[in-house]
Amino acid sequence: MKVKILQWHAVASWTWDAQDETCGICRMAFDGCCPDCKLPGDDCPLIWGACNHAFHLHCILKWVNSQTSQAHCPMCRREWQFKE
Amino acid sequence: MATVNGYTGNTPAATTPAATGSKQSAPPTKTVDSHSVLKRLQSELMGLMMGADPGISAFPEEDNIFCWKGTITGSKDTVFEGTEYRLSLTFSNDYPFKSPKVKFETCCFHPNVDLYGNICLDILQDKWSSAYDVRTILLSIQSLLGEPNISSPLNNQAAQLWSNQEEYRKMVEKLYKPLNA
Repeated sequence: MKVKILQWHAVASWTWDAQDETCGICRMAFDGCCPDCKLPGDDCPLIWGACNHAFHLHCILKWVNSQTSQAHCPMCRREWQFKE
Repeated sequence: MATVNGYTGNTPAATTPAATGSKQSAPPTKTVDSHSVLKRLQSELMGLMMGADPGISAFPEEDNIFCWKGTITGSKDTVFEGTEYRLSLTFSNDYPFKSPKVKFETCCFHPNVDLYGNICLDILQDKWSSAYDVRTILLSIQSLLGEPNISSPLNNQAAQLWSNQEEYRKMVEKLYKPLNA
């Protein structure tokens, strides 16, 4: 039997490769977005710290900017540094 | 699931400014701010209701999700065993970037709690982290009950009496007012 493909429809799924499922700051899913954004994806990315803890970029920036001195990782209290 | 929440949850915030028309410039940022606090508090409430932590509970006040009432019970084998305390938690628009205000509403005879219910606990002040939540706050206060920090007391009498656990227990019983009495 010969099958002739007339049309095909590709479906892809994606997910962030983080250890947790939710952001420790906003408690929203990593595969969703931070509360200030509407669409998950590149516009609301995840970011990792040198300590390997991940957060929504927007959430960790808010935290870092709300600290008067050097900010610490909300999860492990190590000095917050963005992973190179 | 959370993604779906993200969509539906954001829709009202996006449509409100258009509906109010002339007042567009100022309100949106505030709407978004309290909106994200609201979402986080809602997910915390859900978590608290799903997971059963023995000895702690919390629920928002009827008309205001920014004001919660919590209860903690004294842990077993401490002088606070069998007692129950009500606390108030007040969240600002900066939560979780700023800690909530937490106070005892039930009188609590404790070295780190003053007569007005104010609590001296580092994670509510300079050691606050945006990863803390209602649950971890209440658990921390619960463990503070049995492990006070004697070196920086708010209640000197309690701090001095702490070394005598038997007398301390008597004092706790004497001053304790049950919640539903």
